[in-house]
Amino acid sequence: MSEENTKSNFSKYGLYTVNENLELTLPDTVIKFEKIGENAFSYFRQDSEGKIIEKMIPVKSNELKIELAPIRPLNHPARRTGYVFLKFDKEIYLSQNSAASIFVHCPIEIGIFLIHDSNRESLDWVTCNPLNSRFGLYGSPDTGTLCKYAEVSLATDFSDSIPYVECVMKIVIENNLESGKTVGKVIFPITDNSLYYEDSKSILDGIKVTLKKRAVVSIADVKTDVISTDWTTSPTWEASTSHTKMEMGLE
Amino acid sequence: MTAIEFLQGLSEMEIIGGLTVLSLLIGGIIMAAGIITAKIVKMVFFKYYAPTLPQDTAKNFGKIIYFGIIAITFFIFTSTQGIDFSGLLVAGGIFAVVIGFATQSVVSNLISGVFLMIEKPAKHGDTIQIPDMGISGTLLDISTFSSRIRKFDGTVIRIPNEKLFTSNIRSLTNSTIRRAEAMVGIAYKDDIENAISVIKNEIQLTMPFVLRIPEPEFRVEELGDSSVNIQVLVWHPRDDWSQVQPHLLTTIKRALDKSGIEIPFPQRVVWEAKD
Repeated sequence: MSEENTKSNFSKYGLYTVNENLELTLPDTVIKFEKIGENAFSYFRQDSEGKIIEKMIPVKSNELKIELAPIRPLNHPARRTGYVFLKFDKEIYLSQNSAASIFVHCPIEIGIFLIHDSNRESLDWVTCNPLNSRFGLYGSPDTGTLCKYAEVSLATDFSDSIPYVECVMKIVIENNLESGKTVGKVIFPITDNSLYYEDSKSILDGIKVTLKKRAVVSIADVKTDVISTDWTTSPTWEASTSHTKMEMGLE
Repeated sequence: MTAIEFLQGLSEMEIIGGLTVLSLLIGGIIMAAGIITAKIVKMVFFKYYAPTLPQDTAKNFGKIIYFGIIAITFFIFTSTQGIDFSGLLVAGGIFAVVIGFATQSVVSNLISGVFLMIEKPAKHGDTIQIPDMGISGTLLDISTFSSRIRKFDGTVIRIPNEKLFTSNIRSLTNSTIRRAEAMVGIAYKDDIENAISVIKNEIQLTMPFVLRIPEPEFRVEELGDSSVNIQVLVWHPRDDWSQVQPHLLTTIKRALDKSGIEIPFPQRVVWEAKD
């Protein structure tokens, strides 16, 4: 997918108002809204794996307001964890008592939200790069942490995000140890990090990793580093339907 | 005859060892009140407090509360009415021995149930396997005398606690991840490294629940009669067994078919001797 194609063909993130029909095009993904009645719209989505989702959306007014926004990469193939495991394509060497700031790509998914007043309701999500959306384990099988796993490359700056597929995040690594260390991966709870978007680009709150000594053990302390930006903050995807209890056979 | 005279009459009608009809009547009222109280307290407990507790614990607490209130009520009844049970002790002792022998397995199940609740080898909702009995399924509850397991075919099996306590219990949901396994044989003429590579690629492309780390593992298990047997081991999130194990062999076969790697039938070479 080239930058040119992205700019010319694909729909941008942001707010859309549907009066009759709306078609959103993302890489290998088609999203369609269609007015099917006075107060009802239909929703159709076909993703890059050929999976089709269709829904009907009853509304109070004659129009439908939606938001297309990047979301955290936690839903494909199923939501199992809030952690992300990023393996860098190039390892970073930090000599003793030094620090470095790097930009890395981080996978994203795309959320489709319905707007009611000022509330955002999660309607659907898609991933445009399902092959880089896999699980990985940090630790041992019995006590380890299940994470969403991705092999990622270093980015040049915040503008280097890959539209619809990967955002850019800043990682500050501080080595407070008495010896040099090589950092090749980072594991963190991504639920603490917000996403921001502009046009088709997205960025994620950063993290600060401090390599330090605790008693006799070397540890990496990871903290969220909230960025200051004028880009639009993405709504948080909430998988509300998965917690609904069925009663009286209603589905 | 007034009501007072009627009650006085009842108080003079002795049944046994100072137990009169009146005290029996009062006892009945106390016991009825106790049972109603026990039911109300149990209901309140289940409505407001039980949802915060594990299902097994809540159920057992409910029973303790219910029977505890009834026992306390019984003691109140006997103490207020001055009933002397000493006469029944000797007969009761003999009776207890007889009952003890007759209910040996019941007591054994009860004690095993208590130990299961303390030890907690598995909790409500866990997927477990009892290899000794060939049972696999979801543990529904561990109650006073027995435990119930919902098997994967949807049926529910009740197992006496004594048997469960003395059996090996394999928990399938205690670890974060689980491993699925499959065995495949390739022809001797085919390259093992190439076969492993194509299987690995196909798994990574088409099985999203298979973990990238730890990586799928491949072991040449046996140089068999007709094929080189390769064992494929992949890890997946513990709840997604059904997304991986049943599809693993299909994926492996598809990968080998695409690459033209033969999965040989069992074959035997017959040499015919000539004169």
